[in-house]
Amino acid sequence: MQEIKRRYVIPGDKIIEGNYKPLMNVVKSGNYLISTRVGIAEAGKDGVKVIPLSGVYIPRVNDLVIGKIIDRSSLSWDVDINACFFAHLPAQDVFGRDFSPAKDDMGRQLSIGDLIIARIVSFDRTRDPMLTVQDKDLGKIPYGEFIKISPTRVPRLIGKRGSMIQTIEQATQTRVIIGQNGIVVVTGRDPDGLSLAAKAIKMVEEESHTTNLTQRVKTLLNVQDPVDPEQPESVNASPGTESSTQPQPQPQPQPNNESSTQPQPQPQPQPNNESSTQPQPQPQPQPQPNNESSTQPQPNNESSTQPQPNNESSTSNNSKSGSSSKEKHRNDSSEKSSNNDSDIDQKEKKQE
Amino acid sequence: MYNLKELALMDENGKRSDGRGIDELRSIKITVGVVKNADGSAYIEFGKNKIIVAVYGPREVHPKHMALPDRCVLRCRYHMSPFSTDTRKNPAPSRREVEISKVMRESLEPSLILSDYPRAVIDVFVEVLQADGGSRCAGINAASVALADAGINMRDLVSACAAGRLSDNIVLDINDLEDKEGDADMPVAYLPNLEQVTLLQLDGKLTTAQFSECLEKAINGCKSVYEIQKEALMKKYFGNEMELKEEA
Repeated sequence: MQEIKRRYVIPGDKIIEGNYKPLMNVVKSGNYLISTRVGIAEAGKDGVKVIPLSGVYIPRVNDLVIGKIIDRSSLSWDVDINACFFAHLPAQDVFGRDFSPAKDDMGRQLSIGDLIIARIVSFDRTRDPMLTVQDKDLGKIPYGEFIKISPTRVPRLIGKRGSMIQTIEQATQTRVIIGQNGIVVVTGRDPDGLSLAAKAIKMVEEESHTTNLTQRVKTLLNVQDPVDPEQPESVNASPGTESSTQPQPQPQPQPNNESSTQPQPQPQPQPNNESSTQPQPQPQPQPQPNNESSTQPQPNNESSTQPQPNNESSTSNNSKSGSSSKEKHRNDSSEKSSNNDSDIDQKEKKQE
Repeated sequence: MYNLKELALMDENGKRSDGRGIDELRSIKITVGVVKNADGSAYIEFGKNKIIVAVYGPREVHPKHMALPDRCVLRCRYHMSPFSTDTRKNPAPSRREVEISKVMRESLEPSLILSDYPRAVIDVFVEVLQADGGSRCAGINAASVALADAGINMRDLVSACAAGRLSDNIVLDINDLEDKEGDADMPVAYLPNLEQVTLLQLDGKLTTAQFSECLEKAINGCKSVYEIQKEALMKKYFGNEMELKEEA
């Protein structure tokens, strides 16, 4: 079989010739596979795909989305989820199975204009997306800063295993909720922190394709790379989420802090050192009720060095209820995005 | 011996009214992503033509009865600004604009995989800021780039270029003066990778041999335009890197 390198493509570009299986954003034309989007083409064992760099959000089952209530009928709410279709949230999902349109006042639970975080339970070509809020951390978002970014930038904003968003959360003392549909809500008590987080998110969106982005975000947020003697130790202890999801060879201590700030490409037996660059115990100007998840990313070293059965258990050590599913969502998303990010990360590494 | 009309369009050295040779395109400049509110956009300067295109969608169809159950609806609006011509143009859609909107839609449709977005609509707005002949071709070029910028699934980019006849000469990319005073004008839209023609109009008279020559020149022009479109898209998304640099 012919080997191809990952490369940039635009619609109509011939990616490869031969009997390959077209996967994502690729169509077969004659004996060629051609790209249908602007993006990065890559061939794997399964087939050929293009990771897109632009486009609107197309709903997928199990995606976590942030939507705005735009209308309601007697049995459901219509939700704008920033996609080609409006989604529906059944009233039974909120009130329970004994919901009665005559008895229950839907306006008391959710009114038009409210923001909700929900999960897509069903969607196909013939039907509009159906949402649910019956899960931890789902439901109405009472307050926060609303930011819209391109859905294709969401993986970059999350970063590898949530590294980028953790950096932003910790540096600005805020909590950032990211929907796969490109809607981001930032909450926190400090107005300066909110505006700084919003600025950083916009920066990630606008410069997502550029190299050395992580470092520039840290510069914007005034995050110092720690140079204390404990650093190699903390580097050595890879975060629990990583060790639990991908058992890797024992990582080597990285004396060079600069290189440790960059996410490493997947195949290399490097630890995810992002968290090691986070400011260690934050100066806490004000205790924040919502900061459990934002302050928790420093994993417990003992637990993180041992393979965990799953992500949730590894993250729940430090987090209170609710943050585990959020972390899981982030890890899911970053897994989805790892391919997309890896080339940019590689470039960053190379530049360094 | 040249008559007055021919002298104005082409001199004895084979140079045209604007100094170009017979196979020479006007200067083309494309910028991608100029309208922040749109899902995709492009700005093109094609000679003296200045056109901005914004693409919205795929999005919910309004009115809903227009939605198609199996594919996406493509709507295209070509509009000339009142200040785009030397005398004020009435901003209301003219017969010509309605027709150009239709042919643009039909030239773009074959490149789009509309079945990927059932029950949705894609809106393409083409606004001519300054017109100088060949604005439909320039509009198609910009619209195609804007659609790619919007992340809509496409089989290929669409490149368009006109060719025409000035007396006995078949020339590439005719401008406003040549369009008005020349003998034939043939706009062609083309899918360069799939090698398919999606638009072919002809205003004027050509012999069979002239038609073949005209079509061949127009297709060559489309291929040249394609390189500029490709470069513009690459520049927006990948900067100046044309190749992905992999770690050793």
